[in-house]
Amino acid sequence: MSMDHHHTTLSDRLTFPEDNKIATGFFAAGILGVVLSLIGLFVNTEQFFYSYLTSFTFIASLVLGALFFVMIQHVTRSSWSVVIRRIPETISFQLLWLGLLFVPILFGMEFLYEWTRPERIATDELTQYKQPYLNIPFFVIRNVIYFTVWGFLGYKLYKNSVAMDLSDDPALDKKQRVLSAPGILLFAFTVAFASFDWLMSMDSHWFSTMFGVYYFAMSFQSILAVVIIIVLYLFRKGLLTKTINNAHIHDLGALLFGFTVFYAYIAFSQFLLIYYANIPEETLWYYYRFEGSWIILAYLFLIGRFVLPFVLLLGKKAKTNYKLLMGVSIWIVILQFLEMFWIVMPILHKGAISFHWLDITLLLAFFGISSGLFFRHFGKHSMIPKNDPLLAESLNKH
Amino acid sequence: MRSNSNQYGVLAEFANPADLMDAASAVNKAGYKHFDTYSPFPIHGMDDAMGLKESKLGWIVLIHGIIGLLGGIALQVWSMDIAYPLHISGKPYLNFPAFVPVGFAIVILLSAFGAFFGLFALNKLPRLHNPLFNSDRIAKATDDGFFICIEATDPVYSEEKSTAFLKEAGAIHTEIIPK
Repeated sequence: MSMDHHHTTLSDRLTFPEDNKIATGFFAAGILGVVLSLIGLFVNTEQFFYSYLTSFTFIASLVLGALFFVMIQHVTRSSWSVVIRRIPETISFQLLWLGLLFVPILFGMEFLYEWTRPERIATDELTQYKQPYLNIPFFVIRNVIYFTVWGFLGYKLYKNSVAMDLSDDPALDKKQRVLSAPGILLFAFTVAFASFDWLMSMDSHWFSTMFGVYYFAMSFQSILAVVIIIVLYLFRKGLLTKTINNAHIHDLGALLFGFTVFYAYIAFSQFLLIYYANIPEETLWYYYRFEGSWIILAYLFLIGRFVLPFVLLLGKKAKTNYKLLMGVSIWIVILQFLEMFWIVMPILHKGAISFHWLDITLLLAFFGISSGLFFRHFGKHSMIPKNDPLLAESLNKH
Repeated sequence: MRSNSNQYGVLAEFANPADLMDAASAVNKAGYKHFDTYSPFPIHGMDDAMGLKESKLGWIVLIHGIIGLLGGIALQVWSMDIAYPLHISGKPYLNFPAFVPVGFAIVILLSAFGAFFGLFALNKLPRLHNPLFNSDRIAKATDDGFFICIEATDPVYSEEKSTAFLKEAGAIHTEIIPK
């Protein structure tokens, strides 16, 4: 074997090719989705808001997962991830305007959240009891706080990183850690409470203290899949092939494998505790989500989101098998959308899975615009943090 | 050719990790199978340079894990449904969701046993004495020494030729290790 442990220099082109039209394609799909969805808003307003919340929580989970990924790399000062870090950094930069996409939900609260309906408040004792927390002004204030915190972290971490491309100032690297350490603490609280507000409060009687970590577990498993998809897409375009090596891919695969187990552990624990205690007010959430054909999705998550990726990614060689990794990653992202669908939709459609065309058009709108924004931004700067002090170490990863 | 029956092998010292890696690669290419390298720290890429195959440990752990899973489920099915069926808050005797934590724990337990004792066996432990300790220099392998030892059990081994080969590969010192 030759001495491949000596290369430390960058020999790839570092900018995303300008003639690549993928961002335009995504934007076109996104705009088509927006237009069709706006028609749907007038055709079926209630369905629109449920589909909107599904796609919003799906995209939010990916973008938030990316923010956590970036912060954990800074806090641990990891060198391995430097060559791929610009990808999650660019994704979490979108947190800057994620709050704008939340605004429409405020107009659909009467459809989505039963605790906002006056007749419900008047007659339901438990809803009255929860009023100090579950009321519209406080809901809005909380969401303003979440999006401010996330927007600030996503924006700062990205801006510092691209500023470092042009300067050798070691203070910038330190700033990233100083931001990330308290950032992770804030992230834990804001994501947990956001998931309580957005999703858990839809069943206003129901509560699960694990719901925040459940949302996080899903989001982190999915973002690892997304990062793998993007890296393998770049490879397919012949980009960064000499910068990102199989050792990086292997570690991403190993993380995806590990957080597949973490997801299963959290999702199953939440179910098992409620199933075993068998207290009516807790079991009701699962009752609606197991009723009729909805149970098919529950089994799909067990088999498709845990057993299948676990078995497929168990071997060492599997974690560097590009085709397999790409397949498993795309599959996990699809299941992440379906799991959001499974959490949100049984409230509107009790007893049977019911797909509406708005589910697709809103997914198209969110996914198209978000992906378009990602590639537009990704093309503006170097695809890797080229001045990072740990870059050489990352390039030398075995 | 003299008999090598009283020899453990030939030990060669190299100046630095890069030389060691080049030498390991050369020894591997020359067709030697029974040899090992010794260094104060792990050297990335050494497995490939030595031509080592994937460790069997993963398979040992996997088999133990599968036995643990099947055994854990079987234990609960037998005890909860056959030997001592007991009504617990209206749930069925064959209550698979409730079997998961115990099944999981036994998978982890047996996998850990498999990993620990498997590693023990693959490293031929317990081993009270290694003939390499007959050399005074080998102690440097815990500090600043980089060594290759070609063992006498190797079919290609010959005292003179192997020693000459290692010297040519850049060894700064060689010696024959008695058994």
